[in-house]
Amino acid sequence: MNMHSSEAATAEEAIAAQEALPPLDNDAATAVAMQNTLLTPRFYTTDFDEMDAIDVTPVRDEWDALIAQMKSDPNKGHFKKTADWDADWENMDPALKAEFIDFLISSCTAEFSGCVLYKEMKRRGSNTDITTLFQLMARDEARHAGFINDALREAGIAVNLGFLTQQKKYTYFRPKFIYYATYLSEKIGYARYITIFRHLEEHPDKRFHPIFKWFREWCNDEFSHGEAFALLLRTDPKLTQGRMNRLWIKFFLTAVYGTMWVRDHQRPEFHKALGVDPAWYGQEVYRKTSEISKQVFPMTLDIDHPRWRKGLDRLQDASVQVARAKKRGGVGGMVSRIGGMTKATLAFVSLYAIPAIPNETPVSSRMEPAY
Amino acid sequence: MGFFTRTRETAPCTVEISHRFEELSAHVRLNNGAVIHPGDTVQVQGPEIMAAYGEVIRVDRTATITRASGLEQIWTRWTGDFEFMELCEFSFSEEVLS
Repeated sequence: MNMHSSEAATAEEAIAAQEALPPLDNDAATAVAMQNTLLTPRFYTTDFDEMDAIDVTPVRDEWDALIAQMKSDPNKGHFKKTADWDADWENMDPALKAEFIDFLISSCTAEFSGCVLYKEMKRRGSNTDITTLFQLMARDEARHAGFINDALREAGIAVNLGFLTQQKKYTYFRPKFIYYATYLSEKIGYARYITIFRHLEEHPDKRFHPIFKWFREWCNDEFSHGEAFALLLRTDPKLTQGRMNRLWIKFFLTAVYGTMWVRDHQRPEFHKALGVDPAWYGQEVYRKTSEISKQVFPMTLDIDHPRWRKGLDRLQDASVQVARAKKRGGVGGMVSRIGGMTKATLAFVSLYAIPAIPNETPVSSRMEPAY
Repeated sequence: MGFFTRTRETAPCTVEISHRFEELSAHVRLNNGAVIHPGDTVQVQGPEIMAAYGEVIRVDRTATITRASGLEQIWTRWTGDFEFMELCEFSFSEEVLS
């Protein structure tokens, strides 16, 4: 087997290692007698010329330091199973198991989608600052996905990569939206993982699966990816200034926070087992994410506003109505579904209309994971 | 590319799958320099490509590219940005259990 990119000393070696993969050996590829889950990542295209034109000169020192840190690959040895890995799927309550597997599959899909996106950026770009960054991030995401995949295999779930031979539609993302969305997804990912990790440090009896023990170092990867996007956003102040950009950033924040709320409330058993109230968890994650995002975003959402929690609850109720109506089907189901979607839209508009808290971004954005 | 019509073309491609503990990834690379635009679809021809656990596979295949019509391309440019949620770990995944 060739050298794996995680063993490479330099990014150039890592790139070479990924490109010099072993010759194909399709004969050994066999269908596995496991429950199959088809990964369905999205495929993106963007304005690659615009992305290539980024000049990191204004943030050169911080940029070089961050890239050097990522190249040194502090987590190279972290994603290994040790004696601490004491998974016990057999004695897990079936309802909890179902929700936990769902959690792992969505995590795996997100890491995988990130990997596909970053690899595409790396491949299409010619600006070496940018391509090096994307290569390093693709390395981390592929590693995380592999780690989750292994945890799923222990539960008898095999991921199916058959999507490659299915028809895939390429959607479009403006470069600056890639920065907003990936910045936010990496930082909120950090906040989510570290909040669970710290909670389980205090309540080790609630740690029902060993993967949580790996969350701290894991989310440090997410944190540094977020740092890189923060620097990209700071190469050009126009990216985060102006009325339209503010509206878009607020939209991304509201959509991401709202989706997280709804999605977490769909996993009651998972949160019960962790001993976490999803509402508390949501607010805690928003608080951390908002605090961190002050490094680049011109505002934070007012999550203590009296209408905030009400709006989230309305969004949640509407999503329950839509899910039920979908199950019910027929004309009645359709009517109820449209009603639910209207309620969800109104709840979203109400959340979006809450005045944001303006923020003056600092001169230097560089942060270290502190939670 | 017509405003209402789609066109089709083929391109040689290489599919790489790493299905290992250290790395789970899968990529398709078009080998003739064809560029994918918003709304285009790509389908790799031939049977499903499976990499057994622990394997890295690289296969040369042919891909069919269906070019989006001008209208579809504009539509995708306008609406594509809304699909960003996929990148979040708590997104609504469309996983299919079989």
